[in-house]
Amino acid sequence: MKKIEKKPEHRNHYIERFTKSWAIFIKNPMGKTGLIILSAFMLMAIASFFVPLLGPVYHPMTGADPNITYSTGPSLQHWLGTDFIGRDLFVQLLEGAKVAFIVGLSCAFISVVLGTAIGMISGYAGGIVDTILMRIADIFMVLPSLVILLILASLWELSIWVIIFIIAIMRWPSVSRIIRSQTLSLKSRPFIEASRVAGASNFRIIFKHIMPNVLPLAFLYMTFRVTSAILVEAALSFLGFGDPGQVSWGMMLQWVWSSGHMFQAPYWLLPPGICISLLTLSFYMLGRAMDEVLDPRLRKEEEEE
Amino acid sequence: MTEEQNIQTPIIELNGVTKEYSSKKNFLSKGETNIIALNNISLAIQKKEIFGLVGQSGSGKTTIGRLLVKLEEPTKGIIKLNGKPTNKLKGKALKHYRSKVQMIFQDPYQSLNPHLSIAETIIEPLVVNKIGNALTRRDKVLETLEIAGLSPGEDFFHRYPHQLSGGQRQRVAVARAIILDPDFIVADEPTSMLDATIAIQLFQLLLDIRKKFKMTFLFITHNLAAARYLCDRIAVIHNGVIVETGSADKVIKDPQHPYTKKLILAQPGFNFKN
Amino acid sequence: MALLKVENLSVGYKSKKGMVNAVNNISFSIEQGRSLGFVGESGCGKTTIGMTLMGLLPENASILKGDIIFNGNNLASFNDEKWRAFRGKEISMIFQAAMNALNPVIRVDEQIAEVIQIHNPAMSKSDVSNQVKKIFSLVEIPEDRLRDFPHQYSGGMKQRAIIAMALACAPKLIIADEPTTALDVIVQDQILKEIKKIQKALNTSVIFISHDIAVVADVCKDICVMYGGHIVEKGTREEVFKSPRHPYTKTLLGSYLTLDSYEDINVPEIREAPDLITMTGGCRFSANCNCKSQKCQCQTPEWVNLSSTHQALCFEELLNKDKND
Ligand SMILES: Nc1ncnc2c1ncn2[C@@H]1O[C@H](COP(=O)(O)OP(=O)(O)O)[C@@H](O)[C@H]1O
Ligand SMILES: Nc1ncnc2c1ncn2[C@@H]1O[C@H](COP(=O)(O)OP(=O)(O)O)[C@@H](O)[C@H]1O
Ligand SMILES: [Mg+2]
Ligand SMILES: [Mg+2]
Repeated sequence: MKKIEKKPEHRNHYIERFTKSWAIFIKNPMGKTGLIILSAFMLMAIASFFVPLLGPVYHPMTGADPNITYSTGPSLQHWLGTDFIGRDLFVQLLEGAKVAFIVGLSCAFISVVLGTAIGMISGYAGGIVDTILMRIADIFMVLPSLVILLILASLWELSIWVIIFIIAIMRWPSVSRIIRSQTLSLKSRPFIEASRVAGASNFRIIFKHIMPNVLPLAFLYMTFRVTSAILVEAALSFLGFGDPGQVSWGMMLQWVWSSGHMFQAPYWLLPPGICISLLTLSFYMLGRAMDEVLDPRLRKEEEEE
Repeated sequence: MTEEQNIQTPIIELNGVTKEYSSKKNFLSKGETNIIALNNISLAIQKKEIFGLVGQSGSGKTTIGRLLVKLEEPTKGIIKLNGKPTNKLKGKALKHYRSKVQMIFQDPYQSLNPHLSIAETIIEPLVVNKIGNALTRRDKVLETLEIAGLSPGEDFFHRYPHQLSGGQRQRVAVARAIILDPDFIVADEPTSMLDATIAIQLFQLLLDIRKKFKMTFLFITHNLAAARYLCDRIAVIHNGVIVETGSADKVIKDPQHPYTKKLILAQPGFNFKN
Repeated sequence: MALLKVENLSVGYKSKKGMVNAVNNISFSIEQGRSLGFVGESGCGKTTIGMTLMGLLPENASILKGDIIFNGNNLASFNDEKWRAFRGKEISMIFQAAMNALNPVIRVDEQIAEVIQIHNPAMSKSDVSNQVKKIFSLVEIPEDRLRDFPHQYSGGMKQRAIIAMALACAPKLIIADEPTTALDVIVQDQILKEIKKIQKALNTSVIFISHDIAVVADVCKDICVMYGGHIVEKGTREEVFKSPRHPYTKTLLGSYLTLDSYEDINVPEIREAPDLITMTGGCRFSANCNCKSQKCQCQTPEWVNLSSTHQALCFEELLNKDKND
């Protein structure tokens, strides 16, 4: 019974921290702009689930308009026009937003979870464990991720999930470096030592004491990882090595290119290009604004209150 | 062991303890420059006394404290708890040792995890040592908060460190140190960050705790006046060497070593001559 | 005429919960060549006073009322430009934890030369370097250490370098905010001697801020005791420390440990920090005072003159009642 009493208070602390950070975040013009753009893309991604219900013509992959056999410009029926086999470009754009989110967020999530865990273990354990893990990280860090993806994709047909997984695997090392150095500085902080004197195990110290302190930083890195994952996926698709069964913005660009419409159909070329730039920009802005929230000087003021 | 002998064995004994820190400049230079933080220290702390360790910063005070709570191992020498050597304890034995020897850290702003509530902080020793259940732990925490002078305990239970003053934070640290009912507590300059009026209250708390629970303290300080107020015996440490040991009164009234004399002369007082 | 005269100064910080009245209606003055000490526990507004006198208050702070007359100028009405020319030249400050304020990648002498040059652009290179040497010999840093980097200095030497920097332009007033708090007793002792010596040699005025009453008593001839943003007692150090009259001063002194007085220590009750946001009008110390008078909680206490130099902010009958006990 009594234990249950404790829980809401515990959550309150995090809510309180969140609202405080949120106040700083939303004051930042970058954060605000980023968030607005991001919400627009989120609406697009959500819409992508409903638009195909309008009719088979509005399916992004298979919905070729039977009356159209070549690429057409914007019209009432097809707001952004159609591609060379008569598929609706607007629907594809919506679908692309969804895919971008899936790719970006899941890549970021996997790489940040992996990077944080490895970073904390490496920093906390030190010694030989640290050396080995960081050498592995170095190896991954210098691997040219796009080239490797291209090689793999030219050998096998990669599904979108395999691509996500490979990008994530390539991207954990920089996160783990940051988290490791943060952990190193936390490790010798008196509150960690106090907990060790109290008899706490290493496992407990890592997850109870170190993790809450590095989590904000991990979140920050998540937003930057999203950006790079979206870009890598777009590049891969544009070069023709994406998941052929999956519409994405990069794939749209690939189709513009391969069907020879690069310079004839700006209504087809521009929207995915702009979307890629805007979405990555919005995540980047989000990251920068979060950076400010995490700024130690600002944090200090908050703690002093 | 009979009761007689028990009284005579000091609770903590350091025998020829030396601590060196090696600082390899980089992996190319083979020569290591060793910092000798402690040099052949021998000390015996008796049950129920408050033993003062006085010296300026960098003299090795904290290092002794860290050796005693097993955050470090001595390079040479033996540390005994109740007459038993404690070098290189591991696993269960180490956990048991730590439930007997606790520490209050210098900086109350650094020694509490900002993300844990006061209750979570104080309860931790009970949780990791698997003592009691949720209900009894809660009662124990409340009781300990009251002992530490944070009353009513319920008021502090759900608060976070940033909502407390420095003095209150240090009381939380005291509560965390005493909740396992240890035999011995190392207090490393617990009041150096606090105002004089708050410091004196904390000293009173330590004296009360000693009386109530018969605990033994190692009180580390650079303030001779505080050592005199609180301690039964003091040792003066300088550059990792203990230069003088004796009863607090004797060391301060009749210092033998030149360094002790220097320390006493530098102590600010109220003598308006100039 | 006094070098610095502060009258009815109030400084507040805007915060989410309301205005923090960190300094409240304080008045004091300091003559050329004198030393004035501010003592009180942390949070009582000492640093705020120092920062106000330096024109370095943070964004969210403002001078709510009062005048700061320095050499005929009212600093309270200075703009940024005027402050830039003035700061460091006429008044300089040794900040709390200043040892870490030295730039680690610039040689110590260059850092001090820079300060001199900023305020005396016309001065020749050799004059500047002579001035630097003079100052260093004043703070007793040997000449061969002049061209060291800060990390090559010990804590005490860094603090001397900081003092040298404050002295660079021969200011009329130096504000030292807890200059020895991070130092050892032995080093502290040396630095305090240094400050006293310099003050005598150059006849500068010094405002010395510390939470440690014995340190302030050591350096300053005149003392202001602060509590919760108010000055509650002022006088010469003999008056304030040998015959304290305000209950708060008594508490401070009664709980201060020295090597001689450690047996008759009064442990004050656990107290709450004064609330600087809500202004009740009564004495801020009333909640913790053992006079337990109703009057204190609602009526603003007034300055009681105890001698021509000694004053306490309290009610006359309470001060006297206490005396009779
Ligand atoms: N982890 C460490 N690595 C290297 N040197 C250390 C370490 N910890 C302490 N020292 C050195 O040991 C000496 C004693 O330090 P410490 O025990 O912290 O002194 P005190 O607590 O008396 O100020 C100092 O010279 C310090 O630089
Ligand atoms: N930037 C700030 N914003 C809000 N409140 C502040 C700020 N700086 C100081 N304060 C408040 O003003 C009061 C006086 O602070 P300060 O002058 O630093 O005291 P002292 O130097 O005596 O310790 C304190 O209660 C403190 O919390
Ligand atoms: Mg220490
Ligand atoms: Mg201050």
